[in-house]
Amino acid sequence: MTQISMLRRVAEPALWFVGLLVVWEILVRGFAVPTFILPAPSQFLTQMVVDYQRLAQHGWATTQMILIGFVAGAVPGLILAYLIARFRLAEQILYPVVVFIQGLPKITLAPLLLVWFGFSDFPKILLTALITFFPVLVDAVTGFRSIDKRQYYLSRSMGASWWQTFSKFELPTAAPYIFSGFRITVVVAVTVVIVVEWLNSQTGLGYLVLRAMDSSNTPLLFAILFVGSMIGVALSACVTLAERLLLPWKQA
Amino acid sequence: MNQVSMTSALSTGQTSVAGASITAQAITKTYGEGPAAFHALGPIDLDIKPGEFVSLIGPSGCGKSTTLLLASGLEPLSSGTLEVDGKPLTRPLSEVGIVFQDHLLLDFRTALDNVMLQQEIRGLDKAVIRERADMLFDRLGLKGAQKKYPRQLSGGMRQRVSIARALVHDPSMLLMDEPFGALDAITRTQIRHDLEMLWLETRKTVLFITHSIEEAVGLSDRVLVMSTSPGRIIEEIKIDLPRPRPAHLGEYPEFSAYAEKIYSIFAKLGVYKF
Ligand SMILES: Nc1ncnc2c1ncn2[C@@H]1O[C@H](COP(=O)(O)OP(=O)(O)OP(=O)(O)O)[C@@H](O)[C@H]1O
Ligand SMILES: [Mg+2]
Repeated sequence: MTQISMLRRVAEPALWFVGLLVVWEILVRGFAVPTFILPAPSQFLTQMVVDYQRLAQHGWATTQMILIGFVAGAVPGLILAYLIARFRLAEQILYPVVVFIQGLPKITLAPLLLVWFGFSDFPKILLTALITFFPVLVDAVTGFRSIDKRQYYLSRSMGASWWQTFSKFELPTAAPYIFSGFRITVVVAVTVVIVVEWLNSQTGLGYLVLRAMDSSNTPLLFAILFVGSMIGVALSACVTLAERLLLPWKQA
Repeated sequence: MNQVSMTSALSTGQTSVAGASITAQAITKTYGEGPAAFHALGPIDLDIKPGEFVSLIGPSGCGKSTTLLLASGLEPLSSGTLEVDGKPLTRPLSEVGIVFQDHLLLDFRTALDNVMLQQEIRGLDKAVIRERADMLFDRLGLKGAQKKYPRQLSGGMRQRVSIARALVHDPSMLLMDEPFGALDAITRTQIRHDLEMLWLETRKTVLFITHSIEEAVGLSDRVLVMSTSPGRIIEEIKIDLPRPRPAHLGEYPEFSAYAEKIYSIFAKLGVYKF
């Protein structure tokens, strides 16, 4: 990709976003909307500057939970996906269980996890892991299954070991599917962590939301929203970047 | 394409491993089980001697690719016995270069990296194999294609890359499934000659599958003609023509006699409907 088109891809949505904020500002001021209902962008952006330290601190706490939970869900998801895609027996035993658990509205497990594990980071990580696990698994199964069976003729005629077959044939074939699963899931994880932080936490953006509501600080709520969405955007951009670096053939 | 000596291009010259022999007795292949079972091949016998160049020709769907998969140990036999170098084949052959009918290139590797896969997986010397790969790319008219991904190549180029991959590690046996099928007539004649020169020098055992009577007669010591599905070998034709054989096979009066013979077998089978 050329520098210019790269710039355009970033600049174009940014311009739209700034335009939206400007319209918002004009409308709120024009109709004199009360701040506690809908603050003007200038107000919550100011709030962001004022509350910079708290937002950064709690934003980072939330980000850490997302990352740990994501890895804790994605790693077993990938391993099980490989087993399910590759071994008939694993598929027969595991897939029904997977489908059943996938059907559960997992976010409603949050209170139960709190009862079991109390005030700690563990319920947050566990729930994020659970919610990450399934979409990653499903996409990875599709990915591992997408390999042309005849590629195994090739690998076997070369005398490839299990590890060589996995790393040189199966994993690169599945990688684009795995990354597309990651990209979607990592954004969902932001919401999950914030919701659990409402229920149980001394830290994180969810906790800060409660504090803002206690003091009817709507600009702070919006500032938190803004930070939360920036975390989501940043994480999915990281996935995209990793994909670019690791799968160069997608660009060529 | 210029006429460089094949000695430098297609062989390392050091490993003049005599080719392996392939002996099959009454082998058959049935795909699937129960009511879905499909008898795809045989029974057929094969007796391919070390260093022999044998072609298999027959109508579409008669089981030629299946024969190659059985001979390479990649698909299990349904019945019969198969020996390579006098030993029963219990696992896939690896001292072999295979050109599959569908080129089976990995779309996430460049053309060169697809070829170098042989080196990576077999743990061969990188510099040596890389040099051979470069020579093969030159020789096969793939100059400048090294860094391209398969989907950026034409069908004929992909096929040539897969030929390079089958040759790069200098195997003692070559199994080729319609390797020139997607090539234009000019390249096809050139590569036929290149392959013949390579073979003359190193005498690997070659099992060559083709639809082309001209290729079969132009390359082989023996042509095995197969019947319609489920394929059996219905005729064995020894080709007694001097080598290397010319670009224009019509120079040999015997050539048209051989070609005629194969045509007439196909005509009798009802392969042609005019
Ligand atoms: N994996 C498979 N499962 C079921 N049937 C198969 C399979 N592979 C091949 N067949 C069937 O076996 C028969 C022989 O197939 P094969 O590919 O060996 O034919 P072929 O002679 O190579 O044909 P062509 O010249 O068109 O390549 C065909 O009828 C095909 O449909
Ligand atoms: Mg075939």
